[in-house]
Amino acid sequence: MRVPVWEIAKVNLKHNARRPVALAAVLCMLIPVLTGTANLDEVSSAVPLEMFVSLVGVILLVPVFGPEQKEEIDDLVSSKYLDPIRVYRIRMLCSLTLTALCIILFAAYLDMRNCKTGILSVMGTWADAVFLGNLGLFTCAVCENTVIGYMPPLLYYGLNIGMGPKLGNFWLFSMTAGEYGPKLWLGAAGVLLGMTSLWCRKYKRQMR
Amino acid sequence: MLFVREMKKIVCSFSWVLFVAAIGIAMYTQGVFGFAQDLLHKPAPGENYGVKQEEIPEQIMPEALSKLWEEFCANEYKTYPIGFIKTVKLSEKEQKKMAGILAEITGMDAGALLREGNRQAPADSDGFTMEMNGDLVQNSEGEFAVAPENAGSLHVDPDEADGAGFWQPSVQKGMAYEEFRELMDRADALLGGGSAYEAASLIQYGTVSLTYEEAEERYDLAVNSDRITGGYARLFADYATVMVMSLLPVFPAVILCMKDRQARMEELIHTNRVTAARLVMSRYLALVAACILPVLILSYVSNIPLWGVYGGMNLDYLAPARYTFGWILPSVMAAAAVGMFVTELTGTPLAVAVQGLWWLLDVNAGYRSLSSSYSLFRLAPRHNAGPRSWFRTQEYLEHRDGLLCNRLLFVAGSFALVALTIWIYEQKRRGRIKDGISLVRACSGLGNRKGQSEA
Repeated sequence: MRVPVWEIAKVNLKHNARRPVALAAVLCMLIPVLTGTANLDEVSSAVPLEMFVSLVGVILLVPVFGPEQKEEIDDLVSSKYLDPIRVYRIRMLCSLTLTALCIILFAAYLDMRNCKTGILSVMGTWADAVFLGNLGLFTCAVCENTVIGYMPPLLYYGLNIGMGPKLGNFWLFSMTAGEYGPKLWLGAAGVLLGMTSLWCRKYKRQMR
Repeated sequence: MLFVREMKKIVCSFSWVLFVAAIGIAMYTQGVFGFAQDLLHKPAPGENYGVKQEEIPEQIMPEALSKLWEEFCANEYKTYPIGFIKTVKLSEKEQKKMAGILAEITGMDAGALLREGNRQAPADSDGFTMEMNGDLVQNSEGEFAVAPENAGSLHVDPDEADGAGFWQPSVQKGMAYEEFRELMDRADALLGGGSAYEAASLIQYGTVSLTYEEAEERYDLAVNSDRITGGYARLFADYATVMVMSLLPVFPAVILCMKDRQARMEELIHTNRVTAARLVMSRYLALVAACILPVLILSYVSNIPLWGVYGGMNLDYLAPARYTFGWILPSVMAAAAVGMFVTELTGTPLAVAVQGLWWLLDVNAGYRSLSSSYSLFRLAPRHNAGPRSWFRTQEYLEHRDGLLCNRLLFVAGSFALVALTIWIYEQKRRGRIKDGISLVRACSGLGNRKGQSEA
């Protein structure tokens, strides 16, 4: 069976992702007002990237299961021949791509402002974003409530401010200390959380 | 009755269970349940009692000038306008103005300072001689510093220590401290504010060791004024407010306000005889009560083990309750009010983003000075002082009025937002506003047209 990937992605961008994308854009535009974005070395450049840009992951990934929260939409989607899990997968890929795009654009902006950034900084920020976003998505999958989904990533973000390097390989702001190793753990945990969210959603549908 | 019903609705929901778990986890990570392992000790003669910041012009003036000169040479000034680091690079014209300020401080010619600064810029720093008083020593982190009497006045990176260095100007003789502060304030304004040269921040350059008498005085204050448990309760309140309670209450507020819409009960409730004011107020009070209750319990859970440890001493058993209601509650009220107001206004969970951004800015704002920790608009006032610093009770007492104003402002602001929420609710009821203000909905892109797919 052919899956209309592009059609689903287009509909998703048009109707579901519009608001999160606008919010992510507002956040990215606010960053230069909030923190320095000029003449930063690699460690200082990590501050805007890790502490702000990584939050676009929460904004873009958490609402992936959002539309089906409305009962009527959920019923409609369930009656279709296409497996909703495939639709979720496409939506997730869309959100991950948009997150990467936001990070790359912001890194390019930093580069223009005479800051030192590199592929490692971009990948590290993306790992943070994927981890935070999928942590929220996993909560959404378990609780079936998008609003609650925003709670764990923000709480975890707060813990990182309070506990810092004590979190070891799960410290979100490790690049501000020049460490890139934890990003592998965060990225891997993020992907795992994303996959578990999909499995959880599938399992819940089968249980109905 | 309505209050009880709303309260039941909140505490019987899964989101509230998650909310309580989140508070418990956040508080556990801050070590508030292990206060009994971190006890207040009476200072003994001959110990190291730590340091304190003091306005000592003889120490502050050369230290601050040295730092300013270093940043002037590199034309890279580190500022923290809202808490986050911001590196400022001045234009040629502004650098000239900064040279003028330096000239007034040092009594030297501005042009000469500018030339010297350019000459000492990091890119062309090779081949200079270093003039300093004292020995160059290497600390445990591999950094070189002049010690001990000039410690902090001149630092050289290990890579640069091989003969290269820099000349430093000194404050002109007879300069009054007030005049110096004024000039430094001008330098701060030139940098856009938030630098280490702001008059209120200059105190950070003056550090002296605490004497035995001072340490004893601090201990006495902690015992007599805070009655020990008060200090611990304040520390708990500080952690609870900054970590969770100025953010998390927005979640149950948004969920509660969106529940009617999701259950399609809005129209039915609108036809009910109960007034908008009574309904919204009952909801708000139920929300605040449901949010503050677990914190109150946890504050006693963290405080009670101390009662046995300090048995026989004059303890303040009501301190956890006083700090929960006096310190934490206004932040909870603000977060819940923002949650209800924005959700009622837009019909979307936008309140999470609004409160999240406010919390993020507040958490990172104003770490540099103590007074900013109690400033009027701080969502979460800070007093991060445990028994090792004798709870810094004196500083708390000095700034208590500021804290009181801050907390009262937040209570008043919260009620103002609730009043606005009531008004919006009433307008919706009368059909003047449908599903949130149309402009907001249009901007938020929520207005899905009938028949369009959302999948």
